[in-house]
Amino acid sequence: MRSNNKTTIAIMAASLFLAACGGSSSDSSGGAPDGGGTPPPASSALNAGAGAPTGADGSCDATISGVNWNALMSEACPKLSDYNLFTNASDPTAAPTQGGVPYDLSTALFSDYTSKYRFIFVPEGKTVSYNASEVLDFPVGTVITKTFALPENTAFRDGDEQVIETRLLIHRTSGWVALPYYWSSESDATLAIAGKRLNGLTTINNQGQEITFDYSVPNAADCSSCHSIVPNLAGSGDDRGQIFLPIGPKARYLNKDFTYADGTVYNQLQYLAEGELLTGLPFDLQSVEKAPVFNDQVPVASLSGDELNSAARAYLDINCAHCHRADLTLPADYAGPAGSSGVQLEYNRVYADSPSKFGVCKEPVAGGKVGYPYDVIPGSPDNSYLLFRMSTDDNRHKMPELARNTVHQEGVALVSSWINQLPSASCSPAP
Amino acid sequence: MRHRTKLSKIFTISALASGLLLAGCGDDGKDGKDGEDAQSVVGTTTSGFAIPDGAIFVAPDAADGENITEALSLALFEAPEDALVVLPKGRFVVTESIVVNSARGLTIAGHGMNETILDFSTSNGDDAFRFQGGNGITVRDLAVYEAPKNGIKTTNVNGIHITNTATVWEGELESDNGAYGLYPLKSQNVLMENNYAYGSADAGIYVGQSENIVVRNNTAKNNVAGIEIENSSMADVYNNIAVGNSGGILSFDLPGLDKAYGSNVRIFNNQIYANNADNVGAGVVGAVPPGTGVIILASSDVEVYNNQITDNDTTAVAITSYFLIEDDVASYPTSFGATIVDGWSPILKNVYLHDNTIARNGGAPRGDLLAPIIGGYTSDQNSTGMAQTFPAILYDGIGELLSNTTDLAGFNMIVGADAAADGVNYDPYGPEDRICANRNINGNPAPQYEEVNTGLVYPTNPADLTQFDAEGNPLPHLLIDQMVNNTYLNCTQPRLSPAVVNFRNNIYGCTGDDLAEAACAL
Repeated sequence: MRSNNKTTIAIMAASLFLAACGGSSSDSSGGAPDGGGTPPPASSALNAGAGAPTGADGSCDATISGVNWNALMSEACPKLSDYNLFTNASDPTAAPTQGGVPYDLSTALFSDYTSKYRFIFVPEGKTVSYNASEVLDFPVGTVITKTFALPENTAFRDGDEQVIETRLLIHRTSGWVALPYYWSSESDATLAIAGKRLNGLTTINNQGQEITFDYSVPNAADCSSCHSIVPNLAGSGDDRGQIFLPIGPKARYLNKDFTYADGTVYNQLQYLAEGELLTGLPFDLQSVEKAPVFNDQVPVASLSGDELNSAARAYLDINCAHCHRADLTLPADYAGPAGSSGVQLEYNRVYADSPSKFGVCKEPVAGGKVGYPYDVIPGSPDNSYLLFRMSTDDNRHKMPELARNTVHQEGVALVSSWINQLPSASCSPAP
Repeated sequence: MRHRTKLSKIFTISALASGLLLAGCGDDGKDGKDGEDAQSVVGTTTSGFAIPDGAIFVAPDAADGENITEALSLALFEAPEDALVVLPKGRFVVTESIVVNSARGLTIAGHGMNETILDFSTSNGDDAFRFQGGNGITVRDLAVYEAPKNGIKTTNVNGIHITNTATVWEGELESDNGAYGLYPLKSQNVLMENNYAYGSADAGIYVGQSENIVVRNNTAKNNVAGIEIENSSMADVYNNIAVGNSGGILSFDLPGLDKAYGSNVRIFNNQIYANNADNVGAGVVGAVPPGTGVIILASSDVEVYNNQITDNDTTAVAITSYFLIEDDVASYPTSFGATIVDGWSPILKNVYLHDNTIARNGGAPRGDLLAPIIGGYTSDQNSTGMAQTFPAILYDGIGELLSNTTDLAGFNMIVGADAAADGVNYDPYGPEDRICANRNINGNPAPQYEEVNTGLVYPTNPADLTQFDAEGNPLPHLLIDQMVNNTYLNCTQPRLSPAVVNFRNNIYGCTGDDLAEAACAL
């Protein structure tokens, strides 16, 4: 489907609109959503006709046909529906209000086997700037929604599922803020500043076993635990604050095909660029970083050495490196919240430069556990503290610290295989 | 279609929260904190801190045993600048980690460490409190019990003051007690005072990768490590009590951390006694020999003086390079190359022990790390040919020896330019690099007076090397000499500079509020 032919692009864009406007096959008019009086979009951009914040104080009670931008910019509304982000207020998994674009990631953060539904809303007239390695540069006004739903059976994600929570990242003039919404009823989600603990959720896992666990909707303050980069305080008078950022929508995770609501299958970055939402995408897509697709269906045992390495590095990056990162492409003198820990797991870090940054033969500094002398012992995953921390639910030791209440078997298998095939090091068992 | 519901429960709660925030906004942020309060005072903590009526009161009517997690989270979420958040009196349950981001001027106060107890034993989170970013934050007059992981952690905060606060894991010291109690990390201007840390399976009070630190008047009891200063610079640790830990007070530089090394750590006028708990820890701290008063590990520019170091079963002060932990010297460029570039060094320089009173240590030395050394000193396999009481001051000497023999000179090629400019090198030790112990006081009564000694595992002067293995590597010599009127470590070093903590534009420490404190004149 990839083509530089303009005619094709124009047709593509038109079909995209239909998806954005209605999301249902019955709506073929291309007209305004919600049956309201919104005039037809004047441009062909994906976010044409989406509206934009006006700068006025918002109201959670505003009656509006499009996205309630002003409320998003200023208010922590009690109900998700107050923002009018979805054409069906009770369904945050599909059919965004005009301007919303779905996306997914090639390798995603593990969140207790939930399925995730992600949308980006960029105000009309604004665009996103490409960034080669960091998260894309989203303009003020951008809203990212991510909805978590637990499938009845993780091997059949198209089947029944329980929609649990919707998290919003909102780029306000003052910076990004995060708001968690918990689906307290079938019809709407309510703001959960203090989070929510759900006891005894059950699903059938990919191995066909029933698993039961408690699920945590993080509280609003928790969001910064992962979504921030923190200043390396340079001295007694340094009062720089932390910077809140999205994590997932980086070029390397978006650089894959996605099936859009109208059936179009297209590379997400190209889709955004051709939809006039993304600027600066290199003409040669081959030059854009690309993390491999890893999900529960990828058979770890049949990956080649290089594929295994790439998949494990992407997994460690998206699951760990929002905290475990330092230097590289970060702004100067900022690090991830665990930038001080000595373990740095970014996708772009060159392993051979310093295996110890990946925990190889590095003694745990904070905590640790008898029987796990080093974070990573090439050739001995079962004695590697890093793998233990992925494999336990014990709050004292588990990683990631937040939003994981059950073990990701497939992720553990991936990282275990990766540790097994790492070059032997001084702490490795004798061959 | 959009569906409007009536006010849900959560909306009621968020409305309540805004109410709290408004109350906070009405406070000018100074009221009540300095005694110059125009508002009426509604209470005073056991440490004498006045609570004004304009404070944000969390669950003021909560009954003992009540779960106050939600009220606490809501009160702290985006609390206004300079807010004072007051917790109720009693013992309450908290079931999640309390995370506070980018707070400015925030004070969280209970009514006293015995009056306001937060019980995290059923928490689903890990740390009890975690402060990330922000500046000028105070935690005071409360206690955190049974945190699943760490008690109170602060990262990348400029200005953290923890006072009259306790972290406690009750009962026996066990490996599944929490990790660190009070835990400032990567922070600036750290003031820890009048606290109580009990039962941590790692360090009770731990300051890591931080700068400008004062730790004073605290009690650390029954932890693996009582007080630990790690990869930190400009730290004063004084007037504390470290008792019943495996190791009393530690100054460590560990490899592989973002802040590769610390410097200028002063440990003075502390009471460090009977630190004889079994070590239930893991990682490097798990290697600390039980019965150790003070350990200086791979950390340079440390001054230990005027402490009372008594009744520790293994040794009063252990001064050691990292070669005691990892003895394969040839593996260092491979295993630790990157951190050596950044300036971490397995050796230590400029450690000065003076005017400490040392008594009744070494009665029952133990610990796997020292096992061969203990075996040698307590049998005839040492330089005297007779069993000895384990030395009160133990110096491994191997890093200095290998520097002096130039066996480590190759490491100089690895050290990065910044670290080299900062003085990190592996050259032979000059006078300014030496480990010195002087004017220490032998507190043993008469018949045991001769049991207070200084031990050198290796001689530091290559000329004194007499024993080698088959490959020509030096063997431990297990030298021992009296601590008073000593020949070993008989030198002095210049005094280190006092630490200066600037917290909310007030200066704390020996050049600030403690200018007249006796310990600061020592």
